[in-house]
Amino acid sequence: MANFFPRWTNWIPIKLVICGIIAVGGLTAATWYYATPKYTKIGYEPIQPVPFPHDIHVTQLGMDCRYCHSFVEMAAQSNVPNTQTCMNCHTQVQKDNPKLEPVRASWKTGNPVEWVWIYRTVDYVYYNHAAHVNRGISCFSCHGPVNHMSTVYLAKPHSMAWCLECHRHPENFLRPDDQVFNLDWKPDDVKPADFVAKYGQPLDAREDLSKKKKLSQTEIGQTLKEHWNINPPTNCQGCHR
Amino acid sequence: MKRVFHHPPESTTGKHYWRGLGEYSNSPEFRQWLEREFPAGAAELNGNEWSRRDFLKLMSASMALAGVGLTSCRRPELHLVPFTKNVEWTIPGKFLYYATAMPRRNGAIPLIATTVDGRPIKLEGNPLHPASRGATDTFTQASILDLYDPTRSKRFVRDGKTSKREDFEAYVRELRNKLVADHGDGLAFLVEETNSPTRERLRGELEKNLPGMRWCVYEPFLSQGTSAAAQTAFGVGARAIPRFDRADIILALDSDFLDCGQGDLASVRAFTSRRRVSTPKDSMNRLYVVENRFTLTGAVADHRLRCPASQIAAITHALAAKILAGTNDSALGSVMGSIQGPAAFGGHTFDEQWITGLANDLMAKPGASLVLAGSSQPVAVQLLAYAINAALKNLGQTLVVRQVPRNPRTIDISQLAADINDGRIKQLFILGGDPVYNAPRGLAQDKQKGLPLDWAELQKRVPEIVRLGYHEDATSKLSQWHVPAAHYLESWGDALTADGDYLSIQPMILPIFGGLSEIELLNELLGGPKIEGPELIQETFRSTNPSGDFQTAWSRFLHDGFAAHVQPRDQTSSFSANAGVPQNSWTSSPAPTPDLPEIVLTASYSMDDGRYANNGWLQELPDPITKLTWDNGALISPAYAKKLGVLTGDLVEITINEKSAVGQPVKRELVIAALVSPGHADSSISIPLGYGRKMPEFDGLPYAGAALKERPGIAEQSGFNGYFLRTAANPYFVAAGAKGIESVQVTKIGRTYPFSITQEQFSIEGRGLVREATLEGYRANNEFAKKIPGEDELPHPPPSIYTHPPLKAPQQWGMSIDLNVCTGCSACVIACQAENNVPVVGKLQVSHGRIMHWLRIDRYYASRKPYNQDRGEWPENPEIVHQPMPCQHCENAPCETVCPVNATVHSEDGLNVMAYNRCIGTRFCSNNCPYKVRRFNFFDYNQRPVGKRKIVGAFNIYEEYFAPLTTKGAPDTIKMQKNPNVTVRMRGVMEKCTFCVQRIEEAKIAALARAGASPETRIPRDSFTTACAQACPTEAIVFGDIKDPESHVSKMKQQDRNYRILDYLNVVPRVSYLARIRNPNPKMPDAENIGVASLQEKLPE
Repeated sequence: MANFFPRWTNWIPIKLVICGIIAVGGLTAATWYYATPKYTKIGYEPIQPVPFPHDIHVTQLGMDCRYCHSFVEMAAQSNVPNTQTCMNCHTQVQKDNPKLEPVRASWKTGNPVEWVWIYRTVDYVYYNHAAHVNRGISCFSCHGPVNHMSTVYLAKPHSMAWCLECHRHPENFLRPDDQVFNLDWKPDDVKPADFVAKYGQPLDAREDLSKKKKLSQTEIGQTLKEHWNINPPTNCQGCHR
Repeated sequence: MKRVFHHPPESTTGKHYWRGLGEYSNSPEFRQWLEREFPAGAAELNGNEWSRRDFLKLMSASMALAGVGLTSCRRPELHLVPFTKNVEWTIPGKFLYYATAMPRRNGAIPLIATTVDGRPIKLEGNPLHPASRGATDTFTQASILDLYDPTRSKRFVRDGKTSKREDFEAYVRELRNKLVADHGDGLAFLVEETNSPTRERLRGELEKNLPGMRWCVYEPFLSQGTSAAAQTAFGVGARAIPRFDRADIILALDSDFLDCGQGDLASVRAFTSRRRVSTPKDSMNRLYVVENRFTLTGAVADHRLRCPASQIAAITHALAAKILAGTNDSALGSVMGSIQGPAAFGGHTFDEQWITGLANDLMAKPGASLVLAGSSQPVAVQLLAYAINAALKNLGQTLVVRQVPRNPRTIDISQLAADINDGRIKQLFILGGDPVYNAPRGLAQDKQKGLPLDWAELQKRVPEIVRLGYHEDATSKLSQWHVPAAHYLESWGDALTADGDYLSIQPMILPIFGGLSEIELLNELLGGPKIEGPELIQETFRSTNPSGDFQTAWSRFLHDGFAAHVQPRDQTSSFSANAGVPQNSWTSSPAPTPDLPEIVLTASYSMDDGRYANNGWLQELPDPITKLTWDNGALISPAYAKKLGVLTGDLVEITINEKSAVGQPVKRELVIAALVSPGHADSSISIPLGYGRKMPEFDGLPYAGAALKERPGIAEQSGFNGYFLRTAANPYFVAAGAKGIESVQVTKIGRTYPFSITQEQFSIEGRGLVREATLEGYRANNEFAKKIPGEDELPHPPPSIYTHPPLKAPQQWGMSIDLNVCTGCSACVIACQAENNVPVVGKLQVSHGRIMHWLRIDRYYASRKPYNQDRGEWPENPEIVHQPMPCQHCENAPCETVCPVNATVHSEDGLNVMAYNRCIGTRFCSNNCPYKVRRFNFFDYNQRPVGKRKIVGAFNIYEEYFAPLTTKGAPDTIKMQKNPNVTVRMRGVMEKCTFCVQRIEEAKIAALARAGASPETRIPRDSFTTACAQACPTEAIVFGDIKDPESHVSKMKQQDRNYRILDYLNVVPRVSYLARIRNPNPKMPDAENIGVASLQEKLPE
């Protein structure tokens, strides 16, 4: 009986399997990468009515976050500044800058400036700023290096997995309470002797941390976690009501 | 895996608890209802053409199609909008609290309003003031929804056309000049009682300028009789105020003083403070109630006598005779002497022994007893009650007298009607109310025809009418001007409490639809300067002579919500010895018979007098006694129903024939559905008023207000208008033989009406859910509530197959509910609804068992076993026990083990939490819940119109069934009420009580923010509570940390009356109950049937 099928067809099943694996694997990998907030959200940088340069205000002029976001230590929401707050300075400084026209118009007419919302959590998530910034979590942990942004973009994924990363291991993110609003802070900035004098050290520390040259983030975080009784919720009710 | 629950067998003797007549007789409908997870139509598709398979096919096809377009993948651009200028005190996202008060006819309720971003969202009682002590009632809780009512009046109307405020102001200016020229002749005001000193002051000024004006106060349920009797007994301007905390023995004669809706929260609290029994050594008061229908007071009673309302007078007389014989009090003797002899009795036979026992008990406690006559009883009965109190030396002890300022020129609505009928009124101001709907019928007599005239007719005879109203209702239609009224949360004001304390009312928001308040309108009429703020109130406040700097005193007045320096004092007062019963005030109707029954018209626990008719929360609130929603019915006793041959839902026609001057009797008719109500007096029919504003599907039948069809909104389909039977001569009860009544007839008309009653839904078979004993029984065995018979013989509790996370949080939440002080008033249900964004589902959905209340109040009738299961032999006089039932937050929660997606899980602090965004709506959890406290959102109740009908061809279908083809989205004003801290749940999601997790979390966060860089993160003890516990007027519900032995809730749980329901299932609920104690008088004939230990296996024969 003649060979109806040429020889090369013997490879078809194995090729199909390989193609299948590549296709499925590729699809999985693509979904893994492209369909998560890490890809879809990070870098979102909408055009704002006024291109407010955080780098100039914070890094060059040395303003504190809380001058504008004044209720961040008291309320769930960190407020966006009123026109009045802008006009405290801009009645004197950069009075005629055309970029500030929307702010001046708002001041004149009383209509608010409509800033585009970047860090938006869904309605069933109840995030509270006060609970975080009062307990050693810096603005930097969620908003990235805002002090170096000329216009604000979304810097972190803000997905549930990302939230839980910190809620499960807060020691990787905690910092001394006086450094919460210092966005350039590094663990290396900590002087071990002063730190241990103020906060002590973890119960299970194997060595005297004050003798070390540098402290790692985990060492700092673990110390603070124990010293402040940090116990972030990981059950549903912590964020969903 | 579903757990198999083993329950102890139901004992055949002892006490039987039942929820409705269906359960009592164990009817097949009831069995079917009971055995289903969700009642009718909840879980299957109806009809033969559609199989489940077809449905799935179509669903998958439509899902595939929906995916093709991949629409809405763009990120929606939303904006952050800050204020332009800072607003004082405002922190975005933080609540602000202001003191204010809700004006009510019986005295205002001091409140704290919660506002967020300038919108009031919740009301709580003012904890600083004794009239509230932090508590509220159903009407206060629900009044926040009235503020946001989308159908409220939004425009000025002149002769049916939209007008402007400026035009109205110009009209008032012109009118004022005319009135001043006439000295106010022909001017009249018809107002509601608001107890506002500022309104009284402005009225006084108006009377100075316009001496000819008339001022009429009309409230359907503000009895003239009460004040008339008090003034006869104690002198002009006197008001008698009961002091329940000092009373050991209380007799309520048709007096529903525990109805929180009457607004007297201080009395409710004082009464229940004497019913807290924490150890067997404690004593408690004893309550006797004589009434025709079950009221909240009757449900709490230790001894209750069913008696037609028209026969209360005779009972009072019989009691007074016994007390006179025992005390020989001369004043009581003179009052008794002025009553025209024993012929005055209706010939009703009462249990002689009962009255003797009662009289002896009252006389045994002179100075510590209290006799109250309800405001619906005639002056003579009230006067007799005061005389009995005087004879029992209760004056100044349990009954104190206060002087209340009264303007003697106030007239009542009959006098106003007479003036209109005589053509003396040219200009009428109707401020609030809805007299076309709720004024008594037959106010005056037509001069030509001699027939009685209703208010609507009279109103047409007044040339010019200005109406300040909250809705454009029937009264507005018959007025030249309609002016939108401002809500009390939108306007400055002041008010007095029932005790006479002076409260401030400050606005929480500018009038949303530009309404005017009463005092603004009066000020315009006075020609006063235009007011922008509290000027008028400040002037009144100044006249109370606050000490020190005025600004400081004023700020304090607003901050505290009341003026501490205005202190009404009790006056020493004695019963005036020559007080006699006024001529003709002693009604002597014969005892009603099945052929000549009496009709009793009462206020409704949900609608009051009808003013809340457009409030969905209150419409859907099950009546505390009948558990009826969205309707009222004619309440009749089972025995009388059997005689009439009617069942619940059968329509009957009630006809009252009145004698009239023209010879032919005047007929007053009402068609209404019967509602069989155990414990009701025989030959007596009670009709709660306040319902029946429009019912399109019953056009042509003489009921439900054909004249009121225009009434907008929710009220379009609820209930029967009992005002059709209410006349000026007999406002509270009508019986053959009473003033001008020839006969009363009740006939079955052979049609039925669908009721939505929640009483038999979610039933739990008799398994020791409510436990009670008598005080003596409790003293004999203080552990009676711990176990139910047969509990020990059960198979060993199955081990939980699901391990919840260790309960390692430092604070563990729990709740205790004291059944002894719970009156069933339902304030907690509405408080929960307001706090937790619980949607209204509409009448049809309620009848399908889909009511969404997170907290329900179970009402059990209780009677002695054994009973005859043959239909028709009902216990005549059952008792009632109320049991609030929130989620029990089981530590071994059966619902959690069956959720396939982990949407309901346990938290470390002991809460059984729901993650709505995970829920896929399998409803397994509800199926496995032993307490049936889970609620499923079947339709998008928050987003879609519910309870509205749509006509499609020959069909009349509820609009929710058309989703997604109907309009989507709630009205903006309704959204303004929502609590921003609670997710507004959507369709297809299971929900339930969360123990107000938002409050727990807010408290935790506040503690964290306070702790800052320190380890002290504990929430201070008892520093917050749940919405239900906060609203409870009697503190029956207590919430807190059960791990802290010093917390209030732990102390409650340590009492020996503490028990958990279905404890033998090993589900370990976090909610526990304190067993109920009744305090019967052993010398009474019915004592052995009362408060029988519910768990006792054998009763003495």
